[in-house]
Formats: sequence, C-alpha cells, structure tokens
Amino acid sequence: MPRHADRQRRDDGPVRAVPRHVACVMDGNGRWAQRRSLPRTAGHRAAETTVIDIIEAARAAGVEWLSLYAFSTENWNRPGTEVDYLMRLVRRVVRKHAPLLLARGIRCRFLGAADPRIPRELARDFEDLATLTAQNRGMTLTVAFDHGGRRDIVEAARSLIRTGTPADEVTERLFADHLPLPDTPDIDLVIRTSGEQRISNFMLWQVAYAEWVFPEVLWPDFRAPDFLACLHTYRCRDRRFGGVPPQTNRDMS
Amino acid sequence: MTTGTTGTPDGASLLGPEAQFRAFFDDPRWALGIIRATVLEAAHPQVGAALAENSTFVAHPWRRLRNTFLSMRRMFDADPAVREREAARLNRLHARMSGSDAGGRAYDAMDRPTRAWVVATLFESAVTMCRLSGQPLDQDTMERMYAEYRAFLAALDGDARELPERLNDFWPYFDRVVEEELEDTEAARLILFRLFDHLPAPALLEGAPTLWAAGRAVVGPLIGAITVASLPDAYRRKAGLPETPGAPTLMQGAYLAAGLTRFLPAGWIDAGTIIEILSLPSHGDARRARSASALRARLKWASALLRLATPLSPDTGPAPAPAAPTASAPTGEGRHSAEEFFRQVLDQTGDGHLDWPDLAAMARELATRLDLDESEENRLYDAFAAWWRELQAALDTDGDGRVSVVEYAAAVPSLAGPALIRVAEVLFDVTDKDGNGTIDADEYRALFRTAFHRDLTITDGVYGRSAFVGDFLSFMSGRRANTPYDPLLSDA
Repeated sequence: MPRHADRQRRDDGPVRAVPRHVACVMDGNGRWAQRRSLPRTAGHRAAETTVIDIIEAARAAGVEWLSLYAFSTENWNRPGTEVDYLMRLVRRVVRKHAPLLLARGIRCRFLGAADPRIPRELARDFEDLATLTAQNRGMTLTVAFDHGGRRDIVEAARSLIRTGTPADEVTERLFADHLPLPDTPDIDLVIRTSGEQRISNFMLWQVAYAEWVFPEVLWPDFRAPDFLACLHTYRCRDRRFGGVPPQTNRDMS
Repeated sequence: MTTGTTGTPDGASLLGPEAQFRAFFDDPRWALGIIRATVLEAAHPQVGAALAENSTFVAHPWRRLRNTFLSMRRMFDADPAVREREAARLNRLHARMSGSDAGGRAYDAMDRPTRAWVVATLFESAVTMCRLSGQPLDQDTMERMYAEYRAFLAALDGDARELPERLNDFWPYFDRVVEEELEDTEAARLILFRLFDHLPAPALLEGAPTLWAAGRAVVGPLIGAITVASLPDAYRRKAGLPETPGAPTLMQGAYLAAGLTRFLPAGWIDAGTIIEILSLPSHGDARRARSASALRARLKWASALLRLATPLSPDTGPAPAPAAPTASAPTGEGRHSAEEFFRQVLDQTGDGHLDWPDLAAMARELATRLDLDESEENRLYDAFAAWWRELQAALDTDGDGRVSVVEYAAAVPSLAGPALIRVAEVLFDVTDKDGNGTIDADEYRALFRTAFHRDLTITDGVYGRSAFVGDFLSFMSGRRANTPYDPLLSDA
C-alpha cells in the first residue's frame, strides 16, 4: 500500500509506522457481565459490537492484518452451557456480518477451528465465510478460534518431520512455513484488554517480537478510540527486535 | 449392408466419423431424445428387469451418462479396431446381466430381440426428436441413419437380422412392439417420475447442493412431463401415464428451443466438453479439469454466499435468556445432535424415516466407490441388511416397519450392536487388500480417496482392525461429529 509507505517515510522519527499486524486478546467479557449482575453470556453478546467496531477501525487505520483471539483450546473447560451459548453466538455473528465483511474487502480466515467439539454447522459457516472472502485483498482478518499456540508449533514440527527435512537444514523461516496459515506475518502489536497481562498460549510463534499493550478497559467497552490510542502507544515505542535497527518487521521479511 | 459387421467396408463407412448419427452428438435435442429412448427401453419387460436389477443409473446417473457417451463415441470411432474392442466390451458387460426380476420372470441382457429393441428406440427417438422440433429428416437421411443403426446392432450382435431390413418395414415393427410387448414397468416409471426428482448433483455442482436442489425441484418434474408427452400414444394409454394439460405444447417448445441452438456458432455446444465438465471429479488431472475447477470455485463461492445468507431457523439462534446450567441441558443437546445425525447421515432418501432403501443406498455408495467385486459387494450388502434387521428390532417401537427420528433419538446409545460391528469389519476386510490384518497407510489413503473423496494425513502409518472398527462405530452411532467419514454419507 503506497499510502502506508508514505506515512512510514514521513513518520521516520520517534513515531513508528502503523503496525502491520495487530492482534487483540478479547478479554473481560465475563467480568463485564458480572459487574452488571448479568449472566456471563451477556458479556459475550456485548462483545459483538466491539468486534465489528475494531475491525472497522483497524481497516480505516491502515492495519493490514488483524487477528482476534476468540476462543482458546482451554476454554472448552468452561461450563457446558456457556460453551454451547458461545458456539451459537459465534455462528449468528458470522452469518450476520458475512455480507459486510465481503463488501469491505476483508479476507477472513479461521485459525484452529479443527476440534470435533465445534458444531458441524459452525465449522461449515467458518468454511463458507473463508471461501466467500478468499479473493478479498483488503485487510486479512484471522480469527483464532479454538486456537492454541503450542499446538500450532507441535503441528509445524510434525509436518516438518513428515517432509523428512534433515535437522541441520531446519531454519526459523523453514519452520514458520509449516505453521498453520504460513503467510501470516509476525505480529507487531498485541492488545489485551481488561488489564490482564498474560500471553495465554496465543500465537506463540508469531508474537516473538510483538509489542504488548494492556488497556484496563474490558473488551465489551473497548471502542475505536481506545484502539487508536493503543496504535499510538505502539507508534511511540522503540522497537528493536533484540538489536538496534529501528524498523518494523515489514522491512525484515 | 444387411449383414454389415464392422469388418466389411460397408459397415466401416457407415459407422465411421461421417455417420449421420455423429451429427447428433452435440445436439441438445439429443439429451431429450436419449431420455425418451431410455424410457422406451425400460418399458420393455426384459430391459426393465435388467435395469432394475443391474443398472447404476439411478444411483450414479452422471457416471452412467458419461460412460454411455464415451461408449457411443467409441462405437463410431474412425478406427475399426476401437469399434471392435468396444463392441466386445459391451458384450462382456451385458453377458454378466441375466437373472430374474422381482416377479420371477427371467431376463437376459444378451437376448437378441431385446438388444434390437434398444437400438430401435435410439433410432426412433432420433427421428422423433427431429420431427418434434419442426425439422423432420428427409427420406434419404432417414434411410442412411437407419442403415447406420443397423450397422451398430450388427457390430454388437454379428448381424442385424432382428431389425427389419428396410425402413418401411421398421415402422410396423416398432408399432407392434409398442403395442404388444411394452409394459408399464417399474424401471420406466422410475425414470419418468423419480430419477429427475432425485437426481444427485453432478460433480461440478457437488459443492452447491442447495443450488442444485432448487434447480432440480423446478426442472425435474418438467423433464418428466416433457418426456411423457413425447412418448408414443399407444404406450401412454397402455401405461396409464397422465395427460398433463399443456404438456404437449411444453414438450414441443422444449424440442423447438433445443433445436434452435443450431443457429449458434459451431463448436459452442460440445457434448463431450459438457459431460466432462459436469462429471469430472475435482481431483481429475485432465487439462479440462482446470477450467472445470475455476467454474467450480465460482460455484463454491456462490453456494457459500447462499448458505450464509439463508436465515437460521429460530432454534439455532442464541437463546434470549440463557438459563443457568440444568441437568436437562446435556440431554437436550444429545437429542439435538442425534436428530441431526439422523437427518444428515442415516436418512439417505430424505423422507424422514429410516428404511431399508436408506441403508441400501449406503451399501451401494460404499460398494461403488470402493469398486468392489461381486463377492465383496455381497458381503457388504449382507452386513448392511443384518444391521437393518438389528436396527428395526431395536428401534422400531411403534412397529410400522421403519424407524422415525423420534424412535431413533430415543435409542441412540443402543445403536452400536453386533451387526453394525460386522459392517465395520467387512468394510475393513475389503479395504485390507493384502489381508494382513491392518490397513496400512496406502490402503487407508486409498479408502478415503476413493470412497470418501478426502485426503488424509495419517500420523502413525497403520490402522489396526479394532481402531478402525471403533472409529467407524462411533461415527455410525452418531457419537462423534466431524470424523473423516462425514463427507461420505452426509454429502453424497
């Protein structure tokens, strides 16, 4: 995107470019509901508005890759009715917003989403939405649903071993090619709402050099201005990737 | 010409690439003509019985269409060797078809008068198709075409004595057979009234079942009505076929419209291409597969949109006020998924009941996709039949001979009885080609690629009998969703 490149040149100074890949850990739905004496599920329902708002804000801000951490493998341990409710909610949200995502040129993909416990219809809808938007060239939205970062790494290792690559030839780049959705670039910025400061097994490989921002606000209350504030925080940070060159990962890859 | 085998120069020139017959290959009217001819064939008690017992055209009409088309094309190939090989192949194929129908009447696909009748229906339908579309053939063309069809029969039977030598004698022969021999057979009715209503989607449209079902619901009955209206009066009367008001007009309109395509530029309609594109499976490696797969991608996209845009039924939306966890919740969910499994996997005919035809459809699907030979196929059918008896005994609580959704959902846990285990074991045995008691990676992959249309990556290399049986059981008793078996029985 040329617009992007311009800004990068102009901003060359203490302020960095807009992050290329932003990930959000959507935390705090349950607490949001509890504070209002509502069932936990009400929090999940309220999260829908935020999701759409943030997708729109990210797209408008020029973020090219947005990843949302929706449901971790560990979440299966939650009460059955809550899981059940979540599944149906996600299905409804996916279907409701499919036309919007298509019209906005957003390419949608689902990371994880392989567990047999996921209802068949939901898996079908995921697949349909991915098919529907596969040709879109706007922002890529990756929804990590039933995702576990370690599991992805184990999968990559398995796949690598199956190809029979000699141990000496395995490089980071080669290894990354065996991860699910291998075209996903490294994450530049992770936003975890509700003030929790944990990684929680989220896209472990891709967050290696990510900047982390932990806004106190709960996910259902998180809005576009909060998102932009996080982007600003990021742009003021001095990213070093463990060394000195002050570049974003776009220039490394 | 009278004894024109393909070996004689006469026969060769008749069946070669210049044959009048070939001109119809790419004619859309021929599609209607072929259906009509097939009904007339099936109305012959011998052919009807053979079709009902042996033919796969109901279960796999597209594969059958493609096979027939390719066979016809080979029979009119420029190279006599190709023609002879094909004739021999057809004879071998038909020689295996003999037996007796449900009423105990014997049939034999090698019966010469019967084979003559099949050729006669093709010829007569070609002539009729031209007449109905307002472009009747002139006498010379008709004579020549008749000679070609006789040569076709001669290529199969050695001579064409069973068909009258001259065209003038053919019409009385045809009318006589219609009057005296044709019957209201089950097979003819099946083609007219059931085949097109239940026609499975061709490979191209497999990704778009909704689209296909919607189109079929409109076109299926139309094709039936059009075909009925085009049949000889004498047969319609005899078989008691309905005289639908407007059907003759519709029929003539359809033939006329199909005939108008002759004004399209040459090469626009190529039956070979159309059939290939329709029936080519997605993993085909032919050159055409690429254009077909581009087309398929568009269709997949369209059907994804269609599915996503279809409103959900109210019960699948999130409950407005989710109740606190109660003891009944899991049971409700279990029941829900049992009903779903019943609908998607067990009830193959979609009539809301589980009946022998549903299980037979599963057995047939497995047998055909695995390309089983006769004895293996019989074992599989027997195993399914035993499973059906077991299901009936265990589940048919109201004693109406079939199993309803309610009966099924009430008894899911008892579904994995010994007969179902037997089904799994037979399936394992026929897959285990080398009989070493395990399905190795290749056999397993072959099973899934051919039977389930799915590529699998297996991690541990071999699949033991008990693991296989266990997995199959948990799928068949609906205990586990999203297994590799899903695409086999739910999508097909």
